[in-house]
Amino acid sequence: MALGDRFINKLKEKIKVRDIQRNPYDQITLTVDRNDLPEAVRMLYYDMGGWLVSMVPNDEREMNGHYALYYILSMEGGKMTPEDELPQEEKCWITVKAYIPQDDLHYPSVTRKVPAAVWYEREAYDMLGLIADGLPDTRRLVLPDDWPDGIYPLRKDAMDYRYRPDPYPEEEEPDYKFLEPEGAGVVDVPWGPLHITSDEPGHFRLFVDGETIIDADYRLYYQHRGMEKLAENRMNYDQMGFLAERVCGICGFAHSIACIEAAERAVGIEVPKRAQAIRVMCLEIERLHSHLLNIGLACEVTGNVTAFMHIFRVREYSMELAQLVTGGRKTYGNVMVGGVRRDMTAEESKKALELVDKIEKYTKEVWDAVMEDDNQINRWKGVGILDRQVARDFSPVGPNMRGSGFKRDTRYDHPYDVLKEIDFEVAVEDGCDVLSRETVRYKEVMESLKIIRQCIEIMPGGAIFIKPQTLIKPGAFAIGNDEAPRGENIHWVMHGNAQKVYRWRCRAATYNNWPSLRYQFQGNDISDAALIVCSLDPCYSCTERVTVVDVKTKKAKIVTNKELKQYCRNLNDSPLKK
Amino acid sequence: MKLLDITKEIGTATYGYPFEPYEVPEGFRGKPEYTYDKCIGCAACAIACPPNAINVTYDKNEDKLKWEFDCGRCIFCGRCEEVCPTNAIELSQEYEMAVKFNKNDLLTKGYLNTVKCRICNKPFTTERLVNYTLERMKAAGMDINDQIIQNLHTCPECKKEKAVEKFVKTSRFGGVK
Repeated sequence: MALGDRFINKLKEKIKVRDIQRNPYDQITLTVDRNDLPEAVRMLYYDMGGWLVSMVPNDEREMNGHYALYYILSMEGGKMTPEDELPQEEKCWITVKAYIPQDDLHYPSVTRKVPAAVWYEREAYDMLGLIADGLPDTRRLVLPDDWPDGIYPLRKDAMDYRYRPDPYPEEEEPDYKFLEPEGAGVVDVPWGPLHITSDEPGHFRLFVDGETIIDADYRLYYQHRGMEKLAENRMNYDQMGFLAERVCGICGFAHSIACIEAAERAVGIEVPKRAQAIRVMCLEIERLHSHLLNIGLACEVTGNVTAFMHIFRVREYSMELAQLVTGGRKTYGNVMVGGVRRDMTAEESKKALELVDKIEKYTKEVWDAVMEDDNQINRWKGVGILDRQVARDFSPVGPNMRGSGFKRDTRYDHPYDVLKEIDFEVAVEDGCDVLSRETVRYKEVMESLKIIRQCIEIMPGGAIFIKPQTLIKPGAFAIGNDEAPRGENIHWVMHGNAQKVYRWRCRAATYNNWPSLRYQFQGNDISDAALIVCSLDPCYSCTERVTVVDVKTKKAKIVTNKELKQYCRNLNDSPLKK
Repeated sequence: MKLLDITKEIGTATYGYPFEPYEVPEGFRGKPEYTYDKCIGCAACAIACPPNAINVTYDKNEDKLKWEFDCGRCIFCGRCEEVCPTNAIELSQEYEMAVKFNKNDLLTKGYLNTVKCRICNKPFTTERLVNYTLERMKAAGMDINDQIIQNLHTCPECKKEKAVEKFVKTSRFGGVK
């Protein structure tokens, strides 16, 4: 019995599977009728222990006259209890594919059965005009509110760049419809367009009753850069990795690896082992600096600036490590299809190990000091609870998920290449709160150091780059995955002709964490709002202010970034009472 | 508090930069440095450059090939260094690249003499590239005859036309009788 047959057979009992495709062996694509989509995804998700990791809407009219939807599920077990996990050799990726004819763009919404699909289906409408019937939330997600109707950027024929629709006059610009909870005494707090911990754009609306948040809504995508379209139009495979690296300013390297891995897997390129070890090592270096940054910010946002400064002092060593190994502090830029571009000398390995020792010693020292501080722990404990059932429904990823007791880590669930030989533990905490998430991060820093040491140890000699011989296979597609600091990144690449990608779908870790944030806000104090967002380690490009709306009086009030941050630190002088 | 003890022990953690230089490790990817004397104008760097920071165009006014690098667009990936056949472009350790008021200060330019096609008289390559090719051929032990030199001075379009002409003349099918 081949990998995944158990799931397919079970699925076949209820649903007609029209086609089964395996490429590579652990990535299975099942084609079903579009009307069977919701049930097929639900069965795989809830009955068989799948997690929705991505959904790719694709314009395949040039190839077969249809649009296509790919719901990608990671089969790893529900993980609600420790026993509820698939054995390691049965874990795989299952993609449910459905065609949508070009003269009838409707398909039944999966969101009704699997809530995790909500953002993906909103995006499918924005980008390709595919309509999910019965989708509970049909607002725009990616495109701006004043985007003209009938233009769907990811359709292959839709964008005539000479066409520039007139912008709306400012007063006629349509507003984004935020949710409006009913009830007396609820205040609506707009928060944004810049986020207060990471200075990136996103507009939050917190609905508060007194000081307690009862619900939240947010509008993101103020910085959509159209990278997927850009890659399709003008980048070749050698250039794409560098574009992917610029998806994020912190965990960019994880994106470039996932993107390149996807392109490589689609045509079955195997990179030399030395290159694999260097790739894994660079990923872990990136995790070091990202986690230290986030732990530092979680201290800073609660007013513990001393700890913040110390953690950033330690973080500097991880930047130096990156500089030493890759030649860049933040953008490593050393990966291309076929291997890596920069080798490590023995001298560099030696220096890297010294730095690793230093980071380990100092991180431990500072973390122990922070953990001795009860004030700090009390600010983190019990805040921003991510309920386990909510987590199961929305498929969040990364430390956010592992802080709620789910052992989900793509390095552990779907290891590839050299990762299979590396011994590490997945950090899991059961508190569901900010404290658990930060503890997970601390533990992961320690594990990362362990992995870096192992990589240097097992790194064999030899080539770091092979010249790929079979690069073009139009229509071949694959998933590329890796564990970025914020969670798993999933890239999906379909090869086109002329050395270009046909479709590149990049799903950053935070994309899966946003939909469940609303539930994490509920029931918390407004003073903790900044901390909760921070503990997610969000990756979006944030606002200067927050609007607070009083549900009783329906009054909206604008709170500045400074005021809210100040309140979060001092816990007195509530900006709402002024 | 323990944190304060650590502070006392560590002392100053910051660097004195910009009042003292900040040392970067060997192999740091800084500003690409262009050596005009080595450049042959083959445009390999321009093709490899992901963000289009390097552009190679024909400058009509100067009647020369213009090699132009815009540091404002550069992402310091070092692909140009990798593909350059003559090491004319190499990443340096330079990281201070800010310019004051004038964005044109970010540009590096080089003008190279062009070679005109012996048939259509359009400029199509540089003198240095032709010489470079000749040298490589000599190094490979080839005999340099007039035919080769003529070929090197013919632009790709004219070569194509010549090839078609030759084909039509010699071909048995539909050839000119």
